[in-house]
Amino acid sequence: MRSIYVVGIVVLSGLSLLFAVGIIYGEATDQWFLGGGFVGALLIAYSFIVLLLRQVGLIGPRKTER
Amino acid sequence: MSTVATGQASGRYARLMTSLLRGTLRLDVLVNKLYPTDFNPLYYTGGLSNLFLFTLVLSGIFLFFYYDASLGESFASVQYLTDRVPYGGIVRGVHRYAADGFIVGILLHLLRNWFTDRHLFARDNPWISGMFLLLFAGFIGFTGYQLVWDERAQLLTSMFVAMLRSIPAAGAALTRLFIGGVGISDGTLVRILFLHIGPATALYVFLWWHYVRQRHPKIWPPGVWVLFCVGLVFLLAGAVPVTRETIPAATPAASPTRFPMDVFFLIPFWLLNFLPAGVVVLLLVALFVGGLAIPYASRRETPVEMGVRHSGVAQVIDGNCTGCELCYYDCPYNAIVMVPSPGPGLSKAAANRSLLAVVIESRCVECGICIGACPFEALELPKFLERDVLRQVGEAVQA
Repeated sequence: MRSIYVVGIVVLSGLSLLFAVGIIYGEATDQWFLGGGFVGALLIAYSFIVLLLRQVGLIGPRKTER
Repeated sequence: MSTVATGQASGRYARLMTSLLRGTLRLDVLVNKLYPTDFNPLYYTGGLSNLFLFTLVLSGIFLFFYYDASLGESFASVQYLTDRVPYGGIVRGVHRYAADGFIVGILLHLLRNWFTDRHLFARDNPWISGMFLLLFAGFIGFTGYQLVWDERAQLLTSMFVAMLRSIPAAGAALTRLFIGGVGISDGTLVRILFLHIGPATALYVFLWWHYVRQRHPKIWPPGVWVLFCVGLVFLLAGAVPVTRETIPAATPAASPTRFPMDVFFLIPFWLLNFLPAGVVVLLLVALFVGGLAIPYASRRETPVEMGVRHSGVAQVIDGNCTGCELCYYDCPYNAIVMVPSPGPGLSKAAANRSLLAVVIESRCVECGICIGACPFEALELPKFLERDVLRQVGEAVQA
């Protein structure tokens, strides 16, 4: 299971890089809706990365739950 | 033998509430399998609403700088903001979708707290303030649609005026107050702008009221959900831009009869297709008053009828209390106070105490948090005794 999570983190990191390129493309071509949409996609990808990092055990849980 | 072991909820309302409680808890268990418990979004419906409200405030401040509240310029200023200002359309979309998220968050929060009985007893205070938050949020969303001053706003305004006029005695005065004279003018847009921003400011007063009796309110969701929700509104703003609804500017000659619907804010206006304005107003008032009455209507249930949903006010077992204050700090509702101990406790740990915990009955919501906080078994819920819980756990494990 842990290896699946790690693969997920790697894939999402790759996607995040693509979304970051999309933001730059949107900005460079004045396509603001495209750029803004990619900002959203990037944040959502980050949220799933954080979730997977938590599942792997690299971050959290909160002090009270240890 | 306690009700926990044998009691079954009786009465139709009690049975319904018990089944809703069980359904909600089952949903919690299901979501906890998908997410770690501290990431479960169902535990943060209030925090998520707060996050959307914060997003609304920030994006609203940006939009305010470009908005021109006048009949001739409001539509043009919104168009300029959307098409010409870098990322202006995105911010407008974020404002729009965060408003939907805010309403969804509030409704989820409301239903969850209703179904898990967190509106009863001393918790009526957050319930009542929450109903005002919902009312104001709905009204602010409606005035937001008016501010664009397109044909939809024009039609909404005329429908709202019809609703105001249908109110007996005060209708004419309220209409004059709303439109600022006998007809719609620049002053009307200024008033609508005030009715958008003023109640939005009041939301924070209601939030203060909402939190005032709670010691540890969860006002913010975990970081993972902040990222997801802010990301979602940005993604929606980019993928489904607000400009997809091409509604022309309002003009005195225009007589629009249809507009794109918003299920979160414009339902009352959709009802006007089938019902007279006065009946819709009456329905809205009845819904609001009915919502306010829910905690008190529920109190008509007797403890026997409430069955497993009633634990009884927490009681301090005097002999065991050491005066350690753990329950005092953990109680979310300030229902436990520490008083000077009139004498030593019976247990060895309590022999040298200087303080004694006392439960304020009117504030206790029977949540049982103090039971978990106390390491000395000095607190009990009378209908949910620790020995019964342990026995039930034992039976469940054996089964």
